[in-house]
Amino acid sequence: MFGPFKPSNVLLGGLLWKIPWRMSPNQKYRQRRRLKAVDQVIATVDEGLKSKGMTSKLLDRLKAEVPLESEMLPRDKYTTFSRQEKGYRIGLHRVQKWTRKTIRVNPKGF
Amino acid sequence: MSAFRVTLQRSGIGLPKKTNAVLKYLGLTHRGAVRYTDITPSYATQILRVKELVKVDIVPRRLTRQEHNATLKTNSGYVVEKQTSERK
Repeated sequence: MFGPFKPSNVLLGGLLWKIPWRMSPNQKYRQRRRLKAVDQVIATVDEGLKSKGMTSKLLDRLKAEVPLESEMLPRDKYTTFSRQEKGYRIGLHRVQKWTRKTIRVNPKGF
Repeated sequence: MSAFRVTLQRSGIGLPKKTNAVLKYLGLTHRGAVRYTDITPSYATQILRVKELVKVDIVPRRLTRQEHNATLKTNSGYVVEKQTSERK
C-alpha cells in the first residue's frame, strides 16, 4: 500500500493526463508577458509606418479589434470561449498552441 | 532610411503552413534569425501575420550580414598594438 507501488489513479487506470482547470500564477505571468510582447510588436510596426506616413489594412484592423493587455479583463486574458463547455468558458491553456495565438475577444453575447 | 529589424523569437514548428510560408518569405529560418526589412506596408503586414513569433525594432538603416555580425562581437579584452611579421 505504501512506497513506489501504492495504487494511484495513474497506475490503476492506465493513461491519465490531467490539465488543471485554471492556470498557475506563473503561467498567468508568462501569458501576460506574451500579451505585452504582441502589443509591443503592433505598436512598433505602427510607429514605423506612421513615420513614413503609411498604414496597412491588417494593422488598422488589429488596432481596432485587438485590445491592449492593459485594457483586458483577467477573464479574457486567462480563459476563452468554448461552445462545448458548461458555462461556455475554458482555460486558455486548454487551447492548442495557445502560447503562439492571439485570442483576446469573445464572440458577440459571450 | 530607417528599417525594421525582425528577430524570430518563437519557432513556427507545428503552426499552419501559411504561417510558416510567411516566415520563409521573411527569411526567418530558425529561432534567433534576424532580418532587416524596409518599412513598407507589405513588409509590415507580413510581420504582423507572425506577430506572436517575432520581436521588431526600428533601426536607422538596414545592415548587411557582415555589419550585423560585427554588432554581435563581444569585447575581446585586449588590443593588438603591433604584429610582428616574422613568426616561427
